[in-house]
Amino acid sequence: MNFKDLLKNEYIILDGAMGTMLQQSGLKLGEIPEALNIENPEAVIDIHRKYIDAGSEIICANTFGANSYKLGNSSYTVSEIVRAGIENAKKAAEKKALVALDIGPVGQLIEPAGAMSFDEAYEYFKEEIVAAEDADVIFFETFTDLLELKAGVLAAKENCDKPIVASMTFEQNGRTFAGVSVASAALTLEGLGVDALGVNCSLGPDELMPIVKEFTEWTSLPIFVKPNAGLPDPNSNTYNVSAEDFAECMDKIIDFGTVKLVGGCCGTTPDYIRALKKVTENRPYKKAEVLKDTAICSGTTVVEISEPRIIGERINPTGKKLFKEALKNNDIDYILSQAISQVNAGANILDVNVGLPEIDEKEMMTRVIKAIQSVVDVPLQIDTTKPDVLEAALRVYNGKPIVNSVNGEEKSLRTILPLVKKYGASVVGLTLDEEGIPKTAEGRFKIAEKIVAEAREYGINPKDVYIDCLTLTVSAEQEGCRETLNALRRVKNELGCKTCLGVSNISFGLPNRPLANHIFLTMALENGLDLPIINPNDEDMTGAVRAFKVLSNIDKNSADYIAAYNEAKPEKPVIKSSRVTLGEAIKSGLQTEAAQITKDMLTKTDAMSIVNGELIPALDKVGADFEANKIFLPQLIQSANVAQACFDVIKAHLTKNNETPVSKGKIILATVKGDIHDIGKNIVKVLLDNYGYTVVDLGRDVAPELVVKTAIEQNIRVIGLSALMTTTLGSMEQTIKLVKSTPELKDCRFLVGGAVLTREYAEAIGADYYCKDAKESVDAAKRIFSK
Amino acid sequence: MIKLTSIDRGETLRYLGSGKVEMNSETDKLLDICEKELLLAVRPKYLYKTIKINEADIIQGESVKAHLKGCEKAVLLCATLGSETDKLIRTAQVTDMAKAVVLDAMASSAVEKVCDEVESLIKAENPDKFLTWRFSPGYGDYPLSLQGELLRILDAPRRIGLCTNENSILTPTKSVTAIIGVSDNPIENKRKGCASCNLKNTCKFRKAGTRCEF
Repeated sequence: MNFKDLLKNEYIILDGAMGTMLQQSGLKLGEIPEALNIENPEAVIDIHRKYIDAGSEIICANTFGANSYKLGNSSYTVSEIVRAGIENAKKAAEKKALVALDIGPVGQLIEPAGAMSFDEAYEYFKEEIVAAEDADVIFFETFTDLLELKAGVLAAKENCDKPIVASMTFEQNGRTFAGVSVASAALTLEGLGVDALGVNCSLGPDELMPIVKEFTEWTSLPIFVKPNAGLPDPNSNTYNVSAEDFAECMDKIIDFGTVKLVGGCCGTTPDYIRALKKVTENRPYKKAEVLKDTAICSGTTVVEISEPRIIGERINPTGKKLFKEALKNNDIDYILSQAISQVNAGANILDVNVGLPEIDEKEMMTRVIKAIQSVVDVPLQIDTTKPDVLEAALRVYNGKPIVNSVNGEEKSLRTILPLVKKYGASVVGLTLDEEGIPKTAEGRFKIAEKIVAEAREYGINPKDVYIDCLTLTVSAEQEGCRETLNALRRVKNELGCKTCLGVSNISFGLPNRPLANHIFLTMALENGLDLPIINPNDEDMTGAVRAFKVLSNIDKNSADYIAAYNEAKPEKPVIKSSRVTLGEAIKSGLQTEAAQITKDMLTKTDAMSIVNGELIPALDKVGADFEANKIFLPQLIQSANVAQACFDVIKAHLTKNNETPVSKGKIILATVKGDIHDIGKNIVKVLLDNYGYTVVDLGRDVAPELVVKTAIEQNIRVIGLSALMTTTLGSMEQTIKLVKSTPELKDCRFLVGGAVLTREYAEAIGADYYCKDAKESVDAAKRIFSK
Repeated sequence: MIKLTSIDRGETLRYLGSGKVEMNSETDKLLDICEKELLLAVRPKYLYKTIKINEADIIQGESVKAHLKGCEKAVLLCATLGSETDKLIRTAQVTDMAKAVVLDAMASSAVEKVCDEVESLIKAENPDKFLTWRFSPGYGDYPLSLQGELLRILDAPRRIGLCTNENSILTPTKSVTAIIGVSDNPIENKRKGCASCNLKNTCKFRKAGTRCEF
């Protein structure tokens, strides 16, 4: 008997709680339950036997917390505990039941909520998986972060060939602690190729009903359900649902359909399993129908492609000087601000392209994907021509993304489609091949057909292939526009595929491009375009999509349209720049006014005299007020933000005239390894930026080696470090030591800060400047660079 | 379940170090916006458990022992605002740093408020007992590294999604762990003073000649 055979049964009975039973048999406060596998195997075997007697067909070995992070100071290794756990379960099973390696979350949060990287999580899981050769199946249970679970599933897929069951824990609001929705979990896990998926723990069967119901709407895979015995009392941790009531609720849950693997979690005992078994006896398996359209997701947000959805195109360096600069300078915040503004403007999905010849695209892509996912919820479209970059991005992406793109060339199909399948993504299929872009709609349709057929060969559901019939420039090939639209309509109607299209290319070389773009977009939508790739910040384009949805009876009662436009836009204030000076605008936090004044001044004055003659003195004045306690921190930062707006105007002006903005000096900023409290460092960054220093921000949880590497590569000799906790001050010391022991960096200067840091400690670890607040960091920078 | 309906402005300003500063209307507006957004993002969660002091490894160091002197039992507690709050602050750091700073301070004040409410629950469950104030790992010589152990006893990672990393930093970051002593007899009214505080050498209040009133 193996798991695949067992799946042919109508229902599979799992076991109940292990922890509850161990507590009943006298587990003490703070003891590691998994250590009993070695110290008291009989107790563990006894519990397994009781479940098997009650009817369990798969039992979970006592390995839930057996990872090297949780075992920490235990005297046993992961391998010892896992092997003993599986052996105990096998002994109890006597081949009457299968044995699952039970894997719980690592016990620390993965990025961005915590400091654990995807690769670290992967290694923890891998260590457990390779120790469990004798297990029949792997259960991932009680996960709350989808990305951590993805690391586990990949670790299992890449290190063994056992079946995988993946389960998450939801709260009553239908989300996990990390905000993961049921639909996101279902789409992502099914995409990754697990054998069954579902929910366990946290709630009783009654509260779990709507959650299981939602699972049935999104997946056709067998669903796994292990509720608690009701809700726990916060103090005594006892549960309130009896075995009979539990079974009665499970009866209803099974009736939703698709539910196949059933058992219990916290508070359940063999009595619950016995009652549950009764409910499934002589009962034929029922499967619910999945009615949802193709969809993609992030960890928190699902976008069903059941109507036109906007893909924002702005995260792309092509033709954008500022974006290219940002990539070269590692200015992730600039990219993030592009992401946030597109989402605020109405983008449902963001395309992410960071390809630039002079940068390490793979490193940048994974960094940007992680960073964007830490601040916006919309799903992403990974846009790269390099398979290795694509795979790196697919690994760390949280959810089910779109891959942009595959095309009809053999080589492209062979390299891209396996990745799309492995990571469970959707994919854009470009209708071109070795011969180029066919001139006719018929030619492009043929390629679309080929891409869909190939995708099917690789096991990709054709509904997850979104065909791009390619927009050609109408000023060069005027007849091309009709061919694109005809191809699009045929793909949509005859292949039943979703379609996507980059729109703005149509008007290249024409005057009044927005007008042509806008009309072309409307024509394409009417011909069946699902995924327009546009600049969502262009109100006419976003508005065209919104209006189209009203006029096509998609936006019922015009609800979204009204929500977007109902509130009359406040009239833009007429700025009389003569009324306030730049200094006053900065002091009072008047951003729009200050930017306008700067613009006006640039027509008469050169950039650097504005910076040195107006902006810096104004900031100095605000800084002095802050030191004198006349204003408080948010006011200081508000002023800095205003100055930032002025600097942006100046920077854009200089870039336009092909001048390089003058930098007063380069500084590396980093929050040290292990520390994730970086708000103080970010405040320092804002101020240094505004004083004209070039800040290379390495972020938080930064390894000393990265500081050294960056300092050498970018020839920077000033380093600012922050640490908030006593436990991470050691990392600060190590970073300074490592830099100072690097011969080419021995003249590096350090500014340091952080709540628990003292002047004495700063001196003792070799820092040059102790900065008690952001203002002092600027003073320190001034002193260093004036020397 | 604890639901927050407002954030203490005075407390927030105190965290921001604004004692005598005059507020302008821009700043008031900022505080209003932040309060509204934060109240939508917080998902307060907590756990507590009563333990007997003599059988707990979790009580280490002189300061916590002094704190619990005369107590037979102690309540371990933890509380968090959840990861949505961290995300809100993180996003604000990209779009508007002033907002981020205010949100950060408000969230610190909010998580203390949650702890206050948990403490009143504990008081209500122990009507005849006397309780000490909340003492947290990191105060005095009570090791911060015990934070993970404390969470493990409460089963906090699984039950409310509150974890530590290798450096004993709590995640989600707007979280608290603490221990409260429970006694049958009145407790000396020991105020939490500067002596047991880790920030005593760098504290901006002390430098200004005042106290944080904690």
